[in-house]
Amino acid sequence: MFKKLIKESTGKSPWLFHINAGSCNGCDIELVSVLTPRYDAERLGFQLTGSPRHADIVVVTGPVTAQSLDRVLRTISQVPEPRCIVTMGSCPQSGNVFRGSYAIAGPLSKYVHVDVDVAGCTPKPEAVIDGLVLATKILEEKRGQMK
Amino acid sequence: MTLILEALRYLVYVLIFPGFLFCFLTGLLLCGIDRKLVARMQKRVGPPILQPFYDFFKLCGKETIIPAAASKTTFLLAPLVGLAALVVIQLFIPVFRFSAFSNVADIIVILYLLLIPALSVILGGAASGSPYAGVGLSREMVTILSCELPLVLVLLAVGKTVGQALGLGLCFSLTRIVEYQMEYGSLILKLSMLPAAAAFLLIIPGETGNHPFDAAEAETEICEGPLAEYSGAPLGVYKLSHAIKILTMTSLFVALFFGGVGRGLENLVMLLGVTGGLAGALIFLLEILVLFLFCVVLTFLCISVVHAVTARLRIEQLFKYYWTVVTGLALISLVLAWYGL
Repeated sequence: MFKKLIKESTGKSPWLFHINAGSCNGCDIELVSVLTPRYDAERLGFQLTGSPRHADIVVVTGPVTAQSLDRVLRTISQVPEPRCIVTMGSCPQSGNVFRGSYAIAGPLSKYVHVDVDVAGCTPKPEAVIDGLVLATKILEEKRGQMK
Repeated sequence: MTLILEALRYLVYVLIFPGFLFCFLTGLLLCGIDRKLVARMQKRVGPPILQPFYDFFKLCGKETIIPAAASKTTFLLAPLVGLAALVVIQLFIPVFRFSAFSNVADIIVILYLLLIPALSVILGGAASGSPYAGVGLSREMVTILSCELPLVLVLLAVGKTVGQALGLGLCFSLTRIVEYQMEYGSLILKLSMLPAAAAFLLIIPGETGNHPFDAAEAETEICEGPLAEYSGAPLGVYKLSHAIKILTMTSLFVALFFGGVGRGLENLVMLLGVTGGLAGALIFLLEILVLFLFCVVLTFLCISVVHAVTARLRIEQLFKYYWTVVTGLALISLVLAWYGL
């Protein structure tokens, strides 16, 4: 019973940590609009945390520049299990307009397992919420498989 | 036989009411109501009222990472010490006529025990070996320093008023303070106690570390300070302690200034014509309900409204605010009480 309670709670209380991997700030602003009163993702339990140790879902924006790669990977490895990695925007998914640039180390899926991709430049808040909700379902599944 | 019964009784006190289970349920519920109210004031839908319960159980199921720089035992034990201290405080605070430890408990014990949760945050933060925690715990220390002085003055003023009326000089027994209010009316009705009550209301958000006095756990600037390195169940315990602290401070306020309400409840049950053992049970249930309602109203006043309309103060502004405005209010009450007004 206790295990079931934990599993269900995991899906209802996803805390976000946001990593900017060289983003142009477009996606970052859109992520903020998801959390602020207009779209209010907190009604689904989403909360932005200040430390990666508190997070369940890591949201990565930006094309993962060569400079930021090491930091992104180190930050992701500090997030306790079960965790989900969500890329936001086309940049971390494909490189977008920066594809082929010498300064880009992405896409992110070359280095870590990415659970959800939300494409778009920038994705609409509705699409972001949809992606995050999908991530909570994956999170719940991962919790179910633990222990 | 009586010894076993006695032991069982205390076990129920510690584990169920007014101990751990009661604290757990009402504390997290108050926290959820606070979050919902803040959301409504910001024109949001807000999280479900049970959200803190989800958060707590989720954190119980997460992996606990212990940083390489941390000292493991202190890091894991500090949150539990803080939680235990809060549960013990709740045993000392009377629910109107009912109190788990009557006559033993002094306000001074509560004052000391109130320091332990803050100390556990400081200890845990220091043990985690993170620079963010270092900055956070120094701010936490300043916060408790600034809250402590006006809190002591408020308790002195209340103790002097009750003590003088009972001819004892100074009265530091919370049970006796509540009994006095049952006889002669709530202290909030006394003009000389109004500044003290106002000061206590201002202390509540500072003691619980809520907006705008949350410089110690500023998540946007220092990654939640002392909690930066915590994850999993220990973090959940800290979040739980924070929720219970809201309950502790608000119910302490009710005991100090609204004790007389218990009398009204007893009269109400008498008017309804209920007698015998049933009346006792009914009064007890009503008292718990009324206490909870008072806690909700106080949470709304001191935590939700304040959270919705203010921005975070810098640490030196917080210190200055508490040692001038709040201390001043408490001092006015103390002087008035000393001259028997």
